[in-house]
Amino acid sequence: MSAGQAGSAGTMHFTLKIWRQKSAKDAGRFVSYEVSGVSPDMSFLEMLDLLNEGLIAKGDEAVAFDHDCREGICGMCSLVINGQAHGPDKNTTACQLYMRRFQSGDTITVEPFRARAFPALRDLAVDRSAFDRIMAAGGFISTNTGSAPEANSVPVPKPKADAAMDAATCIGCGACVAACPNAAAMLFVAAKVSHMALLPQGQPERERRVLAMRKAMDAEGFGNCSNEYECEAACPKGISVSNIARLNREYARAALFFADHAESGKS
Amino acid sequence: MRCLVDLLESSIAKKISVALAGILLVGFLAVHLAGNLFLLEGPQAFNGYAEHLANNPLLPAAEILLAALFLWHIAAALVTRAQNRKARPEGYQSQRAKGGRTWGSRSMTATALLLLAFLIVHLKSFRFASDRSDLYALVMKDFQNKYYVGFYVLAMGALALHLSHGIQSAFQTFGVNHPRYTPWIKRTSVVVAVLLAAGFAFLPVWALVAGGAR
Ligand code: HEM
Ligand code: SF4
Ligand code: FES
Repeated sequence: MSAGQAGSAGTMHFTLKIWRQKSAKDAGRFVSYEVSGVSPDMSFLEMLDLLNEGLIAKGDEAVAFDHDCREGICGMCSLVINGQAHGPDKNTTACQLYMRRFQSGDTITVEPFRARAFPALRDLAVDRSAFDRIMAAGGFISTNTGSAPEANSVPVPKPKADAAMDAATCIGCGACVAACPNAAAMLFVAAKVSHMALLPQGQPERERRVLAMRKAMDAEGFGNCSNEYECEAACPKGISVSNIARLNREYARAALFFADHAESGKS
Repeated sequence: MRCLVDLLESSIAKKISVALAGILLVGFLAVHLAGNLFLLEGPQAFNGYAEHLANNPLLPAAEILLAALFLWHIAAALVTRAQNRKARPEGYQSQRAKGGRTWGSRSMTATALLLLAFLIVHLKSFRFASDRSDLYALVMKDFQNKYYVGFYVLAMGALALHLSHGIQSAFQTFGVNHPRYTPWIKRTSVVVAVLLAAGFAFLPVWALVAGGAR
């Protein structure tokens, strides 16, 4: 049987080198596993499920990994597969990556997202609540809830609506941080700042938001952007680095001209 | 002083300041190269130009500004790089690029350190030479040494790499990114980087091979 062809009954076989770490305090190490009977149509996470069923049947600990929707929209899955966040495909989350993308017999390395701001929890799961804290600092608009306003009462030019919508597709997965040589969070923050800076609803808090989110981002211990653009290449939603340029503009504008430093905590 | 510390505290402000100093240094390099080309014209032309510069009353101020730009660019950029190393304490077993990085962007720290070494040697041999009465002879003497010339050319290779990423990166840092212009900015960045570096590297090689204009 040559590599690439499916094995007996059309299934595939893999050697997995998986990062195992009992807790944040544990040192962690790679452990090799063999997994057989993998259907080419399984997603990467389903393949891990299969591995875990085998481990549990043997009385071993299952490999912990984050997941939720498994349809590419929640941003929970967070694997570095063969050195690439979410694996080899462009614009694809790990949960939407299919095993037919690999060759039967391959050795696949699976690691967690690695960044000081994403501390290890267990095995492949890391704590990405740093993103939640950045959002809490300014990634929202303050508005009265209640019945939805009439949609056409606030006109939005189509190109701006499109750009805002593109930025809004960020699912907060953190692959940009994982792929960044500096573990910087600029693409995520840029997407959130852009999304709201482009829309009329975001205007009242525009300056305060970017100053506060920059501050929260730096406080979490992410690295500094050096425009390597690996974030854009790894982003499952194809968020463009042009949003980072917008973040830089928004920040410079607010830092130079925004008067209300008291409220933003003197940025 | 307080505002300089604030600048270092904000990742984005720091980055803009590094890029601004970097772009101003590119401007300096262009002027510096134009001056160096007087070497081709022989001792009178080169020494005349040097004297002309030295007699300019604005020179001390310009030199202080230049030193400040270099020091700020180097210090803030190296602080940034040190912070970035700390941002990922546990590295990947394998990290494979997905298509964002370039040779220039990958090698920024390495080219920066080589340029720093070059800068120190360069200042020591020319700016702070003990006898600067005949600068043409001073320069030409060093350019007869093939190790000196080799190091010079190597450093200019580093400059080409540094600027091939640096110039276009600075535009992004200033917030200039547009589908119509960014592809041109990237190409121009590489062309300017290579032209500047090749211009500087040409002179010592010419001096070594042709023995200079005598
Ligand atoms: C010889 C003249 C030099 C010029 C014209 C120059 C120019 C530039 C420019 C334009 C950038 C881009 C800024 C950005 O990414 O937005 C840059 C980045 C950088 N420079 Fe220089 N540079 C020079 C020398 C040096 C030296 C001597 C060092 C350090 C020893 C250095 C260290 C760096 C570093 C580390 C970066 C990357 C900053 C980052 O994005 O993290 N440079 N340089
Ligand atoms: S910008 Fe892309 S990679 Fe980063 S968190 Fe958002 S969706 Fe994930
Ligand atoms: S599990 Fe929801 S995006 Fe992958």
